[in-house]
Amino acid sequence: MSDESDKPANPLHLHLSSGPHIFSGRSTAQIMWMVNLSLLPALLWAWAVFGWAVLAITLSSILGCVIAEYAVCRIAKTASTIADGSAVCSGLLLAYTLPPGMPIWMPFIGGMLALIFTKGIFGGLGYNIFNVALVGRAMMMATFPVEMTTRWLTPALGKADAVSAATFLGQIKLGGQEALTKMLAALPDGGQLWFEFFLGMRAGSIGEVSVLMILLGAAFLLWKGIIKLYIPLSILVGVALMAPFSPAPAIYMLSGGLWLGAFFMATDYVTSPTQPRGQIIFGLGIGLLTGIIRNWGGYPEGICYAIMLMNILTPALNDWFRPKRLTAGGAPS
Amino acid sequence: MSLFSWHKSALPTFSRGGVHPEEHKGLTENLPIETFIPTTVSIPVSQSLGAPAEPLVAKAAMVKRGDVIATVPGGGLSLHAPISGIVKSVQTGPHPTLVHDTTITILAKSAEGDPEFAEQPGWQTLAIPQMLDRIKEAGVVGLGGAAFPTYRKLMLPKDAKVDTLVINGSECEPYLTCDYRVMLEESERVVLGSWVIAKIIGVKNCVIGIESNKQPAAEQMRKTIAALGMEAMDPAVKMSVVVTETKYPQGSEKQLVQSLTGRLVPKGGLPLHVGVVVQNVATAVACLDAVRNRKPVIERVLTVSGAGIKNPKNLRVPIGTSVEDIILHCGGYNGDVVKILFGGPMMGRTIADLDVSVTKGTSGLLFLTEAETNLNSYQPCISCGECLDACPMGLEPNRVSQYIEVNRPLETEQFGVKECFECGCCSYSCPSHRPLVQFMQVAKAAYRRQERKAK
Repeated sequence: MSDESDKPANPLHLHLSSGPHIFSGRSTAQIMWMVNLSLLPALLWAWAVFGWAVLAITLSSILGCVIAEYAVCRIAKTASTIADGSAVCSGLLLAYTLPPGMPIWMPFIGGMLALIFTKGIFGGLGYNIFNVALVGRAMMMATFPVEMTTRWLTPALGKADAVSAATFLGQIKLGGQEALTKMLAALPDGGQLWFEFFLGMRAGSIGEVSVLMILLGAAFLLWKGIIKLYIPLSILVGVALMAPFSPAPAIYMLSGGLWLGAFFMATDYVTSPTQPRGQIIFGLGIGLLTGIIRNWGGYPEGICYAIMLMNILTPALNDWFRPKRLTAGGAPS
Repeated sequence: MSLFSWHKSALPTFSRGGVHPEEHKGLTENLPIETFIPTTVSIPVSQSLGAPAEPLVAKAAMVKRGDVIATVPGGGLSLHAPISGIVKSVQTGPHPTLVHDTTITILAKSAEGDPEFAEQPGWQTLAIPQMLDRIKEAGVVGLGGAAFPTYRKLMLPKDAKVDTLVINGSECEPYLTCDYRVMLEESERVVLGSWVIAKIIGVKNCVIGIESNKQPAAEQMRKTIAALGMEAMDPAVKMSVVVTETKYPQGSEKQLVQSLTGRLVPKGGLPLHVGVVVQNVATAVACLDAVRNRKPVIERVLTVSGAGIKNPKNLRVPIGTSVEDIILHCGGYNGDVVKILFGGPMMGRTIADLDVSVTKGTSGLLFLTEAETNLNSYQPCISCGECLDACPMGLEPNRVSQYIEVNRPLETEQFGVKECFECGCCSYSCPSHRPLVQFMQVAKAAYRRQERKAK
């Protein structure tokens, strides 16, 4: 026995697996929470210019998504995935596409529908075909058409209550050049319309109005290596190609959900292609479709449907544009 | 991380993929090689790729260090007694990769009268077939881990046009420092061994490739080439040292050949097909020992490391030394060990039995704690594309994994399964911790089964 006691014991829980046994340290949950973090500047801006209601709307949407995700996991008898941050991310993004004057119970319903019908029934994270938040927005457009298109607010830094307004793209759709002239006339003396739009002093959905805040968040994601520029840049190029058809191309580029969609919706890993060439085609397609819908379609803004349409093509783009093999085919010489 | 891939390293490297894992080499890189001889060794008869050897000794036989104790009938690699002693048993024992194997256990007896393996006069002028014979007799295999019989790799086909010998001192696996220490401490043997191999395959150009995190080894090799007067000794062979970028898997044959020569090994081909032969530094030493001293491969240098072992070391041990003896020699465990690995942390294999012993191909023995690895279960693929960026071969591990999950392994060849050499870059980078290498293995196994059935 004394001889035995010197022997090292076999650890009781020795794990067997194939390699590798070390990892980069990045996890899906970490990525999702970093995306959520990068979305906060836009929310802070919305709170500052539209007031407390936007926080309530956002919370309502997040709750809808998270509760639905939890319910789906319970029904599917799988471990709960609410901690991975992806349901929170969908909730945030859905809220960002909504008008700031929306009744706060609606996003809850929208979030639940989005989560269940876009993600839940397809098998959860990684299996959805469409962007969850965008399907949520599309379903809400069909369900609550009035609230989704009229509850705009005029941004007002530091002012107690905001007054209702109309969006630039909405005005153009209805009134064309005439409406634009009216908008420009309403500007304070010396005001630069494009700068107001870039900063976020415009009517629009909660998370879309400040291009600056969106770019701040996007810069963080680029720095962390979570997103790459292929998709957002090609979307912007695609929309820019359609901008000359608008009475005010610069404002056109800074309007609507373009920047939010380009940097935060279209870059969703699950529903976008993986290879640079596929990503460029995907982005250009979104940009052109956005322009087509804006210019000649029935809706003032087209980015939501453009992204969803290109989501459909993602599997095909992944098949058409594959990574280049190190070694060319053929038998060895 | 670069936004686009416009960042280019100034040092030579392979063209696509690769990862930069934490090195962990500081645990052992400054520790000189220490010799440890246990009182018992257990040698599994399968030590290299190919047919297993058959034992030539029975229980109670006396053997001397270097005696042949097993051989492959009909020609193949022989196995030699790593220590002098008495055969305790010839029976089934654990094997690090095959799980079980016939194992010869030798109990050490007095080392008196051990052969010295002195330098054989005239070794430099031996004819090439004789050099090859000595390498075969000595049971030399690739000591980098692949354990392919070296004489077979050096016996070039008649039509082969080989012009370059690459000596692989990359040691790109984290934690491992044994090749580094060999290059520092036994640089003469590495250089002379490389020369022997260059002579055998008849090339003018011999390049020693070393990663940039091992600069002292590169300097030592350069100094030694000059000090030995290699150019004067044999002007026909030009030896040089090239420092490559530190990037895993720099030490993989195909990647290293591209880094050093710019040549791409064709699909399903060998470096041979682009005129290159690759040998590991430790293998070069073994070739020299075989040709100059007629010393068989009876010992090897390996790195014992990881946060889970009290005293990490670079050890020279007889083949057949058990994990248990090494743990005792290195001061026991340190904390909670969750994985014991043979080899490096990227491609190494886990073992479950402390009776497993060191084979010719064992370059490392790692004791990993939970903090060093990840035991969490995996999640669905989120199509982030990290594995596609990391794969040095340009394969599609994500797609393979999705096909395996729905049990369609025989549709995965289109994603490059058969070109996968299991370096592990994909799983390393996967944020969902998917066992992508294992999915690849499942697919390959399905193809092997299909091929067997077709026969």
